Amino acid sequence: MDLQLFLLNFPYFVAIILFSMGTLIVLTQPNLIKKVIGINILQSAIFLFYIIVGDIHGGIPPIYDPNLPDALYINPLPSCLMLTGIVVGFSVTAFALALIVKLYIYYGTISSPNFMKMK
Amino acid sequence: MDELVQRLPFLCVIGTLVASFCMPVLARWKKELCAPLATLVSGSVFVVSIFIAHYVMQGNIIRYGVSGWSPPWGIEIVVDPITSLMISLISGACFFICIYSFAAIKHELERIVTGWYYAAYLLCMAGMIGLVISNDVFNMYVFIEVTGISAVALVASKGTREATEAALKYLLLATIGSGFIVFSIGFIYMITGNLNITFIAQELDPVKGNYPFLIWTAISFLAVGFGVKSAFFPLHLWLPDAHSSAPSPSSAVLSALVVKVYIIAFMKILFIAFGLEIFHETFIRHLILVLAVVAMLAGSFFAFVQIELKRRLAYSTVAQVGYIYLGIGLGTPWGLAAGLLHILVHAFMKSCLFLCAGAIYYQTGRKKVTEFSGMGYKMPITMGAFTIAAFSMVGIPLFGGFISKYGLALGSLEADLPILILVIILSGLLNATYYFPIIGQAYFTQEGHAELHAEGGHPEPKKFQRDQIPLSMLVPIVVFALGIIYLGIFPGTVLNFINQTVAILL
Repeated sequence: MDLQLFLLNFPYFVAIILFSMGTLIVLTQPNLIKKVIGINILQSAIFLFYIIVGDIHGGIPPIYDPNLPDALYINPLPSCLMLTGIVVGFSVTAFALALIVKLYIYYGTISSPNFMKMK
Repeated sequence: MDELVQRLPFLCVIGTLVASFCMPVLARWKKELCAPLATLVSGSVFVVSIFIAHYVMQGNIIRYGVSGWSPPWGIEIVVDPITSLMISLISGACFFICIYSFAAIKHELERIVTGWYYAAYLLCMAGMIGLVISNDVFNMYVFIEVTGISAVALVASKGTREATEAALKYLLLATIGSGFIVFSIGFIYMITGNLNITFIAQELDPVKGNYPFLIWTAISFLAVGFGVKSAFFPLHLWLPDAHSSAPSPSSAVLSALVVKVYIIAFMKILFIAFGLEIFHETFIRHLILVLAVVAMLAGSFFAFVQIELKRRLAYSTVAQVGYIYLGIGLGTPWGLAAGLLHILVHAFMKSCLFLCAGAIYYQTGRKKVTEFSGMGYKMPITMGAFTIAAFSMVGIPLFGGFISKYGLALGSLEADLPILILVIILSGLLNATYYFPIIGQAYFTQEGHAELHAEGGHPEPKKFQRDQIPLSMLVPIVVFALGIIYLGIFPGTVLNFINQTVAILL
């Protein structure tokens, strides 16, 4: 395998690994807080992925500078999209934590091994 | 005039959103006003959506760039025949379920959450309408999240232990699902550099040979994401808990509408953005067909073993989602039309059944299917509607379910897969095995009959009594039951809408 190619696409591998890790944590960890952390890792992987998609090798931040007429700017659109993604991630985390507080009042524990069990 | 109609779908979403944000504030002042305001909003959206449907039916397709930005840069809204039909279905069903909620919410929820319940209800409605009218994949993702989170709030509003647990499970799995969807949107953006579905289709067409693996990955991520969201068989784990522990009006909305709008969005991306060629080449069609067949049989089996009525209805939804996916997987004109028709028919049937379950719980407090003796005499109108919906579920002629199953059978003949007809009939028979015992028990047995007989007495002759539930609960149930019969006898109007869309898609 070409090392140069691997290094160039390195961030994509990190995004995929983080995404798989997040999914695995949500599905397998019995601790509810860890499940929420898994959700956050999963969403961070998505943010990372979008930002790399918009990145151009050697590009500069997309702020127009009259002194540099032929500057190479990176694509700002995916980064902007991820602002929405961050808001969604924040609200999901807040909602999940609120539900966990309620479950803690009912059960007295945040670790429930039977939680994902099928009835 | 045209200018105004172009803006109407967008105004529907914005109006509903604004009304939803007013709800918690209004509830602080006067809790009694929340339900009438929600009914008013959903009712006026319903009237507007019928007007839009009338406009679209004359052969116009509404294309509107939000706030004046033309499509490749701005967000585009497209209302074609199936979309206008879906808006009418969503707002109409929400309107009637909202009328039902007047009494049901007072009975099932604590008074303090009323305002928040209606806020989540209208937010969910706005999210669903926004999802079906949007022609931009990232905008779709935003509305998917709006619908998903407010649907979780509808489940959690009951506040019991089961409901909270089911809500958290639903929230976690739905977030994984939308994570897969947004990842797939990222792949699509990598290939084409566009987010508008029409432009994706144009850009993807010349380059699809160059990126086979990326397209495969995008499609499989999309299938997993929408599969989790729409409870496609092996990914349905959240559905039975969430739908059975929610309050009855929310169960009706979740089961009838929320699961379906994701299928519409999936179908739009699959058929319009990726196109038919990729649909046939990447084996996604075979995957959908196999899983749909498994869903139709396994969902019915799972439903058969449930004792609690609402759990049985929830598993039945898993089976019925299989029917809709079967129609999409067949990919022939009749199959696709029948799948889309089944979205409509199932929305009527399942709302009717869940509302009946709620009405029975309201009057008698019974939840289990074994406690239904003599129910047909205590609540004749409710059980009559229940019987109509159950007959339609089984696929007996003159009821709506027959038309869509007949269409699916024709579609499987068109696709040269006659074995699927056997599966459709088998699944229909399985439906009969878990609905007919309830009906038989309700009409042909009487409470305390056996004990009375043992003592040597004669049971009194059965007498019909009027249902002891408020009129506001009875009217929506009757309306949904009449809708099923209307769809069964005169499916022409609706099929006309659907066939126009199928002609565009295929």
